[in-house]
Parts: sequence; structure tokens; C-alpha cells
Amino acid sequence: MREQDSNSTLTRRRMLQATGAAGAVGFAGCLSNVTDGGNGGGGNTLEVLHGWTGGDGKKAVNALTEGFKEAHSDVDTDFRPIGGGGNTNLNTVVSNRLSQNDPPSSFAGWPGRNLEKYDGVLGDISDVWEEEGFTDSHIQEAADLCQYNDKYAAVPIGSHRLNCLFYNQSVVDSAGVDPSSMSSIDDLVSAMETVAAETDATPMAHAMKAPWTTLQLFGVVMLSQEGYEPYMTFVEGNGGGDAVRSALETTKTILQNYISDDASQIGLTGSNEMIQNGEAAFIHQGNWAAGAYRGADLTYNEDWGFKTFPGTEGMYTFHIDSFIYPGNNPSPEATKTWMSYAGSKEAQRLFNTRKGSIPTRTDMSSDDFGPYLSETMEDFKNADQLPPTLAHGLAVSPNQLTNMKSVITENFSGPYNVEATAQGLLDVAQQ
Amino acid sequence: MDNLFDKLRRLRADEGDEPSVRTDGGTATDSSRSGFREFLGSDFVQSMPFWLPPFLLAGFFVYGAIGWNLLISLTDSSGFGPVDYSSLDFEMYFRAFGDPAFIEATRNTFVLLVGFIGICLVFGLLLAILIDRHIRFENTFRTIYLLPMSLSFVVTAQFWLWMYNVNNGMVNAFLGLFGLGPYNFIGNPELVLPAVIFALIWQFSGYAMVVFLASLRAIPQEHYEAARVDGASTIKMYWRVIIPQLTNAVISALVVLMVFGLKAFDFLYALVGGFQPPNGSDILPTLMVRVAFQKNQWAYGSAIAILLFLLALGVIAPYLYYEYKQGTI
Repeated sequence: MREQDSNSTLTRRRMLQATGAAGAVGFAGCLSNVTDGGNGGGGNTLEVLHGWTGGDGKKAVNALTEGFKEAHSDVDTDFRPIGGGGNTNLNTVVSNRLSQNDPPSSFAGWPGRNLEKYDGVLGDISDVWEEEGFTDSHIQEAADLCQYNDKYAAVPIGSHRLNCLFYNQSVVDSAGVDPSSMSSIDDLVSAMETVAAETDATPMAHAMKAPWTTLQLFGVVMLSQEGYEPYMTFVEGNGGGDAVRSALETTKTILQNYISDDASQIGLTGSNEMIQNGEAAFIHQGNWAAGAYRGADLTYNEDWGFKTFPGTEGMYTFHIDSFIYPGNNPSPEATKTWMSYAGSKEAQRLFNTRKGSIPTRTDMSSDDFGPYLSETMEDFKNADQLPPTLAHGLAVSPNQLTNMKSVITENFSGPYNVEATAQGLLDVAQQ
Repeated sequence: MDNLFDKLRRLRADEGDEPSVRTDGGTATDSSRSGFREFLGSDFVQSMPFWLPPFLLAGFFVYGAIGWNLLISLTDSSGFGPVDYSSLDFEMYFRAFGDPAFIEATRNTFVLLVGFIGICLVFGLLLAILIDRHIRFENTFRTIYLLPMSLSFVVTAQFWLWMYNVNNGMVNAFLGLFGLGPYNFIGNPELVLPAVIFALIWQFSGYAMVVFLASLRAIPQEHYEAARVDGASTIKMYWRVIIPQLTNAVISALVVLMVFGLKAFDFLYALVGGFQPPNGSDILPTLMVRVAFQKNQWAYGSAIAILLFLLALGVIAPYLYYEYKQGTI
């Protein structure tokens, strides 16, 4: 018995020893991570963070990264998808990394005023823009939006169009509505009235689980009803209260009468499925919505249709996805190679044909893009105005965007308080 | 580590004042030993390998982090770049008390914590008492009641979202049987917080039940019998004799439920897929994350975190103090 006792003591001691040692090593590991700023594992590996973890986005980014690896096999790469909550998790990770002075080589994000969030930590890739001639090959608006404090800090990878109205062909047929004849917001409202009267379908599919969809709807209604100038006056913080109020009144009319009762319980996917299933007639979304129709094997102009949001003909509400270049870059050379590639014809074709977006380059043929995107590219080229998107980072700073979403949640998610919402939005725009 | 002990033991053996056969109670200390050696031999030092590593780790990662957070909340840090610790003040706290969003989130958090913990404890106790009545299929019921807790918030949030659906949700279908509704649980700012609390209670009352049940089982049968002999009714027996013996269970359930209540963040995040919960259900954790990670206002976010910490302490402190006075902890 005594033998066994002493044995068991030994084992316990050994265990303690092992635990202590493991703990010490772990602790030291943590400390060294703190002290060397996490640069240890990196070296000159190109580390790109993005949020495309499923569906079209995943296919698109995989094609893009495969293309890059083929073209530049000498660069060590680490492409890291960070999914969840739209881009919420990606942005949180990026914020954390940047605040700890441990930036990735590059990350996906919106350019434009969204870059204000990264004030002080953005790098300068003006040389890439010059060397690659991006200033000439990309549309001027995209080039402007990729600059922060007159230095280029991002490269656009593609653009989605925001002022879209998609519809289920058979629902509008059975209601006897001709979407192509609509040319104003009033036409749309009366068309929705007809759908409500003639069919069992919901006139407008709308998701209200998150506030951005409503903010986006307000933005397009304002463009349609009030026009480009008042919209810009508002987003630039120069007032325009009456236009905001009247656009909110119209948005309220739509939300109160023509969307489904369960809007606050469904998200983008749920609302878009209503179009696919024939449960709803119209939906206003960016043209990422069309990706889902392609995914469900629905045919353009047979199962679903597209109409520029009535009243915004001649406009292309501008959204850009880009890769942003942080300063203090862990791999400056490799990152610049990546940036040069991202703005190239090949990269934009590989990415956008799969993502359902269009290139920001002006010199690309629409051959590989299919009928729907080819039309969009045509509209993009011929657009009179490119109003920047309100809900996707181009028009207002990230702080303002977050605050505007709060205003929508608090005052415009049922019951709809036009006066409080207008005041809130105007206050935020003027911040 | 055991080398150290061996050496110590050898040192002692060299002195020759140690009995060769020790009793289980250890050795009596020899007053002639030097102060340092006595220090090395003390329980404090001898037990160090056991408590020091966890003490240091917890001290560094928990209390150190809270302290650091407090420090950041006193700065004006926002955006990226190094934090400026040179001027520390309470500006962020004043700002919080003047911020309507903060006031509303605090109110919601308080209602959520008190409502959730209170109802959960009462409901869990009732379930535990019912199960303790030696019903049939006791184990089955126990498992059924506890099962929701094994599910992740991400899962439960998604299916409560479906169940609360206005058009085809189960909750409204059920209420419809009595001619009620349909209610827009998520979309109506006045209903959403109670709806969230209800979902949390559904998930965690099983846990409270298990804790209470364990405590009930520890109460000797004689107490029930004595109460009966004295002519107490069932209700009076539980109220006067049994429930007063459950205070320890209440404490442990309270603390754990508090943790789950604060984790309602996960539930709300999964409910809408973002940091902006439905109108009327914004709580301090969601506000804190929005401020810190969407607006990058680190100092203000830290101040909210500290206030949340104080709120959490404030909710349980009176109870802990009462128990301390009673001598139960």
C-alpha cells in the first residue's frame, strides 16, 4: 500500500509539474504575442481579410484568389474569410487588429466616406494607381472614392447597383401590371395598389430585421421623388428638411400598406425568397439580390424581371466593394502586387462575373457577364448621375451611418414617426 | 517544483529534529527554527504551487483587464492609434448619463436582468417542487426541462424568431386559438423586450430547476414529516420550512443566471444578425459593442462597460450582503 501511495503522490506531482510548465509556456506565449505585436507568424505573407463566406461572394473571391495565386505564384498568401452578420464580424476583427497596431496586408471594405473610420491608419498606394494606370482605366467616381486626404488608399474590385426594383414576372402578369411603364414613385405605389387588389401576393417584399434595408429604401425613394440634388444636399449635411420629410412620408405609405406583416422578423434572404416563391410582387434591393435568382435557376425576363427604380432612370446608385490598404503594412511589396492585381481586367472579370456585380473599369467587354449584367454595365456607362449609396458607406461616414440606422430603428420601424425620423436623420447628416 | 520540496525535506532531515515516522497531521513546528526557514515551511508557501498560478492568471486576465478597461474609460480615446493616457477624467461617464440611448439601454438591461432572473428563479422553484413530489416519469421531465439549456443562443434565437413570426409563427397560432393576436412580438417596441425575456426564461428555467432540485433532495425527510405532524398544509410547509433552506441554491442560481442574462447579447445578435437589436430591446452590451466597434469610440465604450459591470454588481450585491449578514456565505 505504501508503495502505491508514494506512486500516486509522484503522479500527482508530475501532473502539477506538467500543468505548471504548460501554464508558464502558455503565459510566455501570450506575453511574446503582446510584445512583438503579433508580427511573429506573418513574415512577408500577404494576409487579406474579407467577408465573403458563402454563395456568390465565396465563388467570386475564390476565383479571384485562385487567379492571383496563378499569376503571382511567388507570393505567400493567406486569404482569410471572416463571415457572420453581413460584414459585422469582419469589421470587428479589422477594428481590433488596427487598434492593436497589427494590421492585415489588406481587407475588404467600402471606400468613400467609410474610409474616415480608418483615419490615421491608412497607407498610400498612389504609386500603384499611377503605375497601373488605374486613374484612366477606372471610372473617375471610383478613383475619387478610393482616395482619402488626396492619397489613394483602396482599389475597387466591383460595383453593385442600388437603385433596382426586382419583380416576380408571373405575379405582375396576373395583376396586370407592366413594370416597364412605371416612371415615377406614384406609378409604383399605384402598381402596388393594383397588386394588392388583384392578387393574394404581398405588393412589396421588405426585410426589417436590420435597419439598413429601410434606410436604403428611404434613400432610393428620396432620389426618385426629390431628385439627385436634394439627395446630395441631404447626405452632405446641408439641410434639405422638406425633401427628407416628404420622402419619408412616401416611404411610410409603402411600409404601412404594402409590405408583409412579418417584415420585422425576416432578413434580406427571407424577403428575397418571397420574390422567388411568387409570394410578393416587387422588391427594392441592390443587384446582389439577382445573384439569388441565378442561384435558384430562375431565368431573367421569364421568372424575374428588373426595372430601374421608377423615377431614378438615368441614375446609377453607386456602391463599391474595394480592398483597403492599411499603413504600417506587414507586407508592403506583396500587398501592392495584390492591389495591382485587384484592379486589373482579369481580376475584375473573375470576381464580378461570379459576384453579380460589374467592374469599375471602363474598358471591359460585357461578353462574359450575361444579359442582365450587360444591361447594368450599359446603364453604368450611360448614367447621368452616380449618387453614392447611403446605407453602404459611400455617402456618409461610418459614425453617421451607425447613427442613421439607430434613428431608423428607434423611429421608423413601426410605428413610423416621420417628424422624429427626419429630425434625427438631418441631425446626423449635419454632424 | 517537487525538486524544491525534496530539497526542503532533505534540509529538514539534516537537522535531525524530524521524527522518522510522521503522523498524518504533519509535524509540530519547532520554535527554534530560523525565521526564513519557517517562512518556507509555512502553509502559505507550501500551498503556493496550487493557488499561485490560477491567482496570477485570473488576476492578470480578469482583474487586470477590468482595470485596464477602467483606465481607457478615463481617456478620450477614439479611432485608431495609440491611447493617450496623459489626461484622465470622468468626461465619458458624464456623457453616458446625458445620452438618451444609454439611459434607455440601462433601463432595458435592468428590466431584462431583474425580470429574467426573478421569473426564472420562481418558475424553476415551482418546477423543482413539482418534480420533487415523486411524480411518474420524473427523469424524463427533468431532462425535458433542462434540454433547452444545451442549445446555443444562435439556434434558439433563430427559432424564436420563427415562432414569433406574425403570419405563421407558432406563438401567434397558439394565441389565435383563444382569439388573441396576432401580435408583432419582434416589431412592436413594447412587446419585444418581454418576448426576449420569455425566450430566455424558457431556455434557463430548467437550470434553476436542477439547482433547486439538488437542494430539495438534500433536505432530510424528517423536516417534511415534522411539519406534517405539526399540522402544516403543503403550501405552508414549503413556504415556512423548505424554501428558507434553499438560500444557498438561490445564490448559485442567481449568479449563473446573471451571467446568462448578460449573455442576452448573443441572443439579440443572432436574432437580427447585427449589433442593432430591434427597437425597444437595446441593452448595454449591444450598445457598448456598437459604440466601441462600429464607431470606434473606445473610451466611451469602455465607460459603458464599466457602468454595466457596476450594474451587474448592483443587482446581486444587496442579496450577497444579506446572505453575508446571515452568515450563509
